[in-house]
Amino acid sequence: MEKLSKLPKIYLVAVFIILYAPIFYLIFYSFNSGGGMSNFESFTLEHYAAVFEDTRLIVIVINTVIVALLSALVSTAIGVLGALAIVFMRNKAMRNAVLSLNNILIVSPDVIIGASFLILFTMIGVKLGFASVLISHIAFSIPIVVIMVLPKLQEMSPTLIDAALDLGASKRDVLTRVIIPFIKPGILAGFFLALTYSLDDFAVTFFVTGNGFSTLSVEIYSMARAGITLTINALSGLIFLVTVVLVIGYYAISRKTKAPLSGVRK
Amino acid sequence: MKEIVRGAAVILLVSAILLFINAELNDGGGSAGKDSITVYNWGEYIDPDLLKQFEKETGIRVIYETFDSNEGMMGKIEQGGTSYDISMPSEYMIEMMQEADLLLPLDYNKIPNVKNIDPYFLDLPFDPGNKYSLPYFWGTLGIAFNPTLLDGQTFESWDNLWDPSLKQQVILVDSARETIGMGLNSLGYSLNSTNLDELREATDKLKTLSPNVKAVIGDEVTQLMINGEAAISLTWSGQAADMMYENEDIDYIVPEEGSNLWFDNMVIPRTSTNIEGAHAFINFMLDAEVAAQNADYVGYSTPNLTALDLMDPEVTEDERFYPDEETRGHLEVYRNLGLEMLGQYNELFLEFKMDMK
Repeated sequence: MEKLSKLPKIYLVAVFIILYAPIFYLIFYSFNSGGGMSNFESFTLEHYAAVFEDTRLIVIVINTVIVALLSALVSTAIGVLGALAIVFMRNKAMRNAVLSLNNILIVSPDVIIGASFLILFTMIGVKLGFASVLISHIAFSIPIVVIMVLPKLQEMSPTLIDAALDLGASKRDVLTRVIIPFIKPGILAGFFLALTYSLDDFAVTFFVTGNGFSTLSVEIYSMARAGITLTINALSGLIFLVTVVLVIGYYAISRKTKAPLSGVRK
Repeated sequence: MKEIVRGAAVILLVSAILLFINAELNDGGGSAGKDSITVYNWGEYIDPDLLKQFEKETGIRVIYETFDSNEGMMGKIEQGGTSYDISMPSEYMIEMMQEADLLLPLDYNKIPNVKNIDPYFLDLPFDPGNKYSLPYFWGTLGIAFNPTLLDGQTFESWDNLWDPSLKQQVILVDSARETIGMGLNSLGYSLNSTNLDELREATDKLKTLSPNVKAVIGDEVTQLMINGEAAISLTWSGQAADMMYENEDIDYIVPEEGSNLWFDNMVIPRTSTNIEGAHAFINFMLDAEVAAQNADYVGYSTPNLTALDLMDPEVTEDERFYPDEETRGHLEVYRNLGLEMLGQYNELFLEFKMDMK
């Protein structure tokens, strides 16, 4: 790092300032007693108090977190199995076809996914609400998990599996004691990516919320008509803080599992 | 592997705890009954304390959800899969929803408080006899302006906007009915004109406004006006109230030639599963004290006559938001002109926008 000359450093700093300035601007005004985002009057925590007084808002935040956690968990489980299936597929054409189908889901616009889910749910009679949001979040997270896990699987030498089998491991042992520990960083990355995708998704969620169930992004959007209040700033500030903690947590966990083979002996 | 299983277990546990907290918070109203209604309203458009009060008084739990546009709301209801008991469409949307057979007729035996509403706001062309809807809030379309940026200049009529001194000052709404309507009004024609010659004349007149137009935008205008970055804008009264709340310099007028009168109305969608509860809610919102408290919180004009007596006279005597009889006589409600006519309006509006430099 010391070898960086001045110019790249300045560039780097500039980029980070541009990326973070709007967020800090938002958080800065969450302490404004003035009520607007134009002139800062004096420091106050009243908007933060307002967040905790508004039970409806808290319920929505909790909803958002529950959906994110559960959808990330389920989609990670399904995604890992999917990635395994793709890697061990014998027929190469088939494998490429499945992989392409997976990638199409990643690049296809959220709006289309959301609209098609809405049509599907109303057709088969699923009531819009918690279930519909959870199912659709799981669905759009699976391809992401697959993409995160796949490289780890491809990186793994097939001789590892052969060796394990030679040493008398059952097929189950191979999966739980060789493969899964090896691809664990990929699984973790997939899980956290799915988590963040679910947390900030607006387009898909917008279509499938209903009957009083709503997530944060959809709720903030519908507040826009009356102007966004500083309560939202305060809430965004809190969420930003949580995200920072999450990222730090992710690094802490992934560092612990950095040497994948150490898991084999357990 | 063990760690992953353990991690998954922790996540499940956390989710379960959160679900439990959520259920507790949801029941916070203290009502034990399973009776509930789902209210679908615009964002930030009700005093949340009133929802709690309603729960306490009736024992009916309120599930509250918000929307941001009439079209989005109608889509959700039309698509099915939802069971909203109350919604708050604007007046033109009521006609559309009714044509699509999405509304249930109101039972006035269950809404005695309807007597509180100013008769002026009842039996309007978009819902004759108030078969399906009752007004929730109302307002006008007018000119918001900031005299400190205009050397103290004030406005009385649409024609004032054509003043040559206002170069690049006026912000218009990016919406065909409003902008073309302003042209029609300034010529003394009806907002709901279907006469092509009148529409042509209005568009030609609008084109001469081009040098004064600063921008044609949407809701962003509120912030621009508050920050003093714009001096004049075509604005709905509710939006103007927001602006004036934040920036005391701003003033608002309803032009003397006439303007639009708009409503947001309570309706019961056909998908309702608690029609009884929905009627109770409508009746509750029409109560004088409740309506007064709500109007005070939201800051829009209430159609509730008895509520006006309970409110701050400084607000209710403000002619900008509660115009007198004479001004009211010039106000017009948008009629549903049909798709073809709407296409005409859009075409002419586009022509006006393209003509601008």
